[in-house]
Amino acid sequence: MPRLGEFELLVLLSILRQGERPYANRVRTDLEENARRRVTRGALYRTLDRLAEKGFLEWELEPSEIPERGGHPMRRLLVTAGGMTAVRDARDVLTTFFEGVGEATPDEA
Amino acid sequence: MSPSPPRLPLRLLSRVLRNDPAGRAILGDLQEDFVGLISSRGPGAARRWYWRQAISLAVGRLIQGMLSAIGRRPMNDSPSLGSLLQDVVYAARAVRRAPGFALFAALIIGLGVGATTSVFSVLRPLLLAPLPFERPQELVWIANEGDAGNNSLSAVTSRSGNLRDFRTEARSFEGLTGYNAFFDQDAYTLTGVGEPERLAGVGVAHDFLDVLGVDLVLGRSFTEVEGAWGGPGAVILTHGFWWRRFAGDPQVMGRTLELNGEPRTVVGVLPPTFDFSSIFAPGVPADFLVPFPVSDETDQRGNTMVMVGRLRSGTTPESAQQELDAVVTALQEAEPDRWGLAARVTPLQEHVAGPFRGALLLLAGAAATVLLIVSVNVSGLMLARSPRRSREVAVRKAMGASRSRLLRQLLLESFGVSLLGGALGATLAWAMTGAVSRTAAARIPMMDQVGVDAGALLFGIGVAVITGLVVGLVPALHVTDGDEAGVLRASGRGSTSGRGVTRLREVLVIGEVALACGLLVVGGLLLRSFNAVLDVDLGFQADHAVAWQLNPSRAFESNAEVATFFGTLADRVAQVSGVQEVGLIDALPLGRSRSWGFSIPGRPESEDDGLGLYPHLVSPGYLAAMGIRLEAGRNLDRSDTRESAPVVMINEAGARRLFPGQEALGRFIQLWDERQWEIVGIVHDVHHLSPETDPGIQVYFPLTQMGDHQTLDLVVRSTRPSDEMATAVSAALAEIDPAMPTREHWTVLSTVDRAVAARRFTLGILSGFGLAALLLAALGIYGVLAQSVAERTPEIGIRMALGASAGDVVGNVIGRTLLLTAVGVALGTGLAFWGGRLVRSLLFGVEATDPLTLLVMAALLFAVALVAATVPALRAARTQGARALRVG
Repeated sequence: MPRLGEFELLVLLSILRQGERPYANRVRTDLEENARRRVTRGALYRTLDRLAEKGFLEWELEPSEIPERGGHPMRRLLVTAGGMTAVRDARDVLTTFFEGVGEATPDEA
Repeated sequence: MSPSPPRLPLRLLSRVLRNDPAGRAILGDLQEDFVGLISSRGPGAARRWYWRQAISLAVGRLIQGMLSAIGRRPMNDSPSLGSLLQDVVYAARAVRRAPGFALFAALIIGLGVGATTSVFSVLRPLLLAPLPFERPQELVWIANEGDAGNNSLSAVTSRSGNLRDFRTEARSFEGLTGYNAFFDQDAYTLTGVGEPERLAGVGVAHDFLDVLGVDLVLGRSFTEVEGAWGGPGAVILTHGFWWRRFAGDPQVMGRTLELNGEPRTVVGVLPPTFDFSSIFAPGVPADFLVPFPVSDETDQRGNTMVMVGRLRSGTTPESAQQELDAVVTALQEAEPDRWGLAARVTPLQEHVAGPFRGALLLLAGAAATVLLIVSVNVSGLMLARSPRRSREVAVRKAMGASRSRLLRQLLLESFGVSLLGGALGATLAWAMTGAVSRTAAARIPMMDQVGVDAGALLFGIGVAVITGLVVGLVPALHVTDGDEAGVLRASGRGSTSGRGVTRLREVLVIGEVALACGLLVVGGLLLRSFNAVLDVDLGFQADHAVAWQLNPSRAFESNAEVATFFGTLADRVAQVSGVQEVGLIDALPLGRSRSWGFSIPGRPESEDDGLGLYPHLVSPGYLAAMGIRLEAGRNLDRSDTRESAPVVMINEAGARRLFPGQEALGRFIQLWDERQWEIVGIVHDVHHLSPETDPGIQVYFPLTQMGDHQTLDLVVRSTRPSDEMATAVSAALAEIDPAMPTREHWTVLSTVDRAVAARRFTLGILSGFGLAALLLAALGIYGVLAQSVAERTPEIGIRMALGASAGDVVGNVIGRTLLLTAVGVALGTGLAFWGGRLVRSLLFGVEATDPLTLLVMAALLFAVALVAATVPALRAARTQGARALRVG
């Protein structure tokens, strides 16, 4: 199974935590506001394509009534079962390693 | 309906994304944020943002597409340092194998990068960088209305009473201040410290530095008391003068300097970043600032001040303009007799850069065109090599080299060449900006601050590197997986490169010819304008005349005494051996100017409403000294004294304008002082403001009858060499007034030179670009033909063996050249018409669609194209059938 990069993981998590099948702009705003990093559009779209290629992500176009979009549809994003597994694996790896850190956990240092 | 994004980037994006299934959703995402930005940051910022997004997305997609066409992403395999080093060595070896190509490509790139960088370095401080003041975007320039076409200082300056009243009435400004625009007429002589020296001081309102937000190096800005009429004498030194005269000694603070015999205390020193003349009056030196009182006394001098204001936050220049309009109307109603009440607000930056905007944008366009041609040419070169490289790539691939490895080697190679070009370009840019700041500083604001702009240099090198990289990939793309054998087979027969590649190269050449044609025609138009300006009959003889600005050291009691002093002085200078004529005037042509309102007695005022005359206060010898022809009537002479009836001479254009179809001699004009001046002479038209401006109405007053001047210019005509003459005249002047500085003098010819300096500057750079473009186009044509002849050698050989004559073969090659050039010229003509319209304001005496210029330049291009085609054509004609086939 293909592995997840850090940014890919953040993107998947952002989609998951928003529920309601968010579209790209929401993911970008979430990452910029809460992951404290600058996200360029190019990088985000490329990552979405890559996640879809890896089979972690699915999307469908949905007609949008929002006037600001000028009649363009929205791409609703959904994490696949494979994506869920990959996210869980990544979490397990991180947890294992944080547990090993013990008392020197960055929070308490 | 929601606002739609700018059309061009939208089209670009739609095209780039057309194969992406999520493309329309991406467009929607962008549009949504675009709409959001309009409300949060304004439509301008939103449009810029959209452009950036579109370009970066498009470039990203392009690179992505290219990489996936190659099959693998090179980022994914991490090369070891060892293999990278190997690749560098390989690339270096490839460059060494074809040093001519590498050097040639590097030269072309260097030329383009150097030219572009220089022009953008010049542009930046003037058009893009903020002025060196605190929050410069809040600063505005407030001019008097100024009727169109009247460029004299009097038309943009205001009475100091306007400033006083605007200060109290207008609420839009955090501060309103100004300076005396005629400061160069208030010459100062510094005495009591060594040899008397003539200095230039600028009169400013006391809060001038505070409003601009200038932090002084030492001391403080002027106080309100110092700024009042008759207040204590104070002076603030410029940084340059402080160093030049006082060696940067801080003890100078509080010292008293004797300027024009009056004591003035040094209260401050300006920072080096604030160069008054380079921003407000390029080419006019300024050594120190003195307070210019905003009072009734200065108000009576008429239009003197240029106003500068700082807008309150949240106020726009437009709303400030509206308020000032209302203030002006109210003041006028309260005081119907008041004259000179008007105000026009423009952002300060716009005002400073305005007059040069056109020329600089033209140069920027030209530089960008040259860079484009460079890219096209480098592409052409790379493409010409691509069949050979394809063969090499195919061999290496067949022997097991991985595609990413090959790719990396090719990239390294073209990167190296581009870098070499970049280094050459940087050197060129350094030399060119140096030359520009030395030659152009005199007339263009802030030119002394020009240095190579790092951003521009990086941009230029970036373009060259990207071009090199993109085109460098062609050979690698050319060999598709599994087709190594095909490529080798094809190249083994020495056959032509793919039809697509040839077509692409020809299109590139057509593009080059078109761009070069456009540049050359615009350059030609400017050249013709320049010649037309030089051909203008200035109305005076510029050669053999030397001038001094006179600033007597003593104060005079009355106008009569002034007249006597200068009369004696002129008489003494006339006795110097070799001096033919001596004249005095308040301001020589192509220098300062002012305008006065007037009326014609017995004629209703409305008829000539708003007309101004350019006054010249002259001595009887002035016309002869300047070589100005008297067309009718009599010259001013010694019989025109204070006591005799007031008389003037008028220029021909003025006479025609004021008395169409009538005799002007014997008519009268009337000024504010109610005196009626009889016209006794008609004088040949002199272009007083600039060679390009109409002479307007010029009236020559006798110095004895009109005393309204601060300093006088002395002009001496002589057959002796100017330096020799200057020494003798200076000595004679010193006899009359030993304390008057006399060392500074200049030839009238140099004034004329200065008047056309900006034009010569633009023309020089543009000609350079035009020639570079021509050269590059010629090289491009040569490259394409040479390559195609080399490839077609077997074919030509067969044809000749079958009976084609050498003439047929040459005709064939030349025909192809002419066809390519013709298409290029046709496209270039369209480009030139468009370019000509853009530069219309810079043209003089020639139409933007001048057919002669177009014909000459087209002929030039054809001639150069033919020369470029000669070598390949002759080579083709020498082809011998049997040998050609053997080579094949």
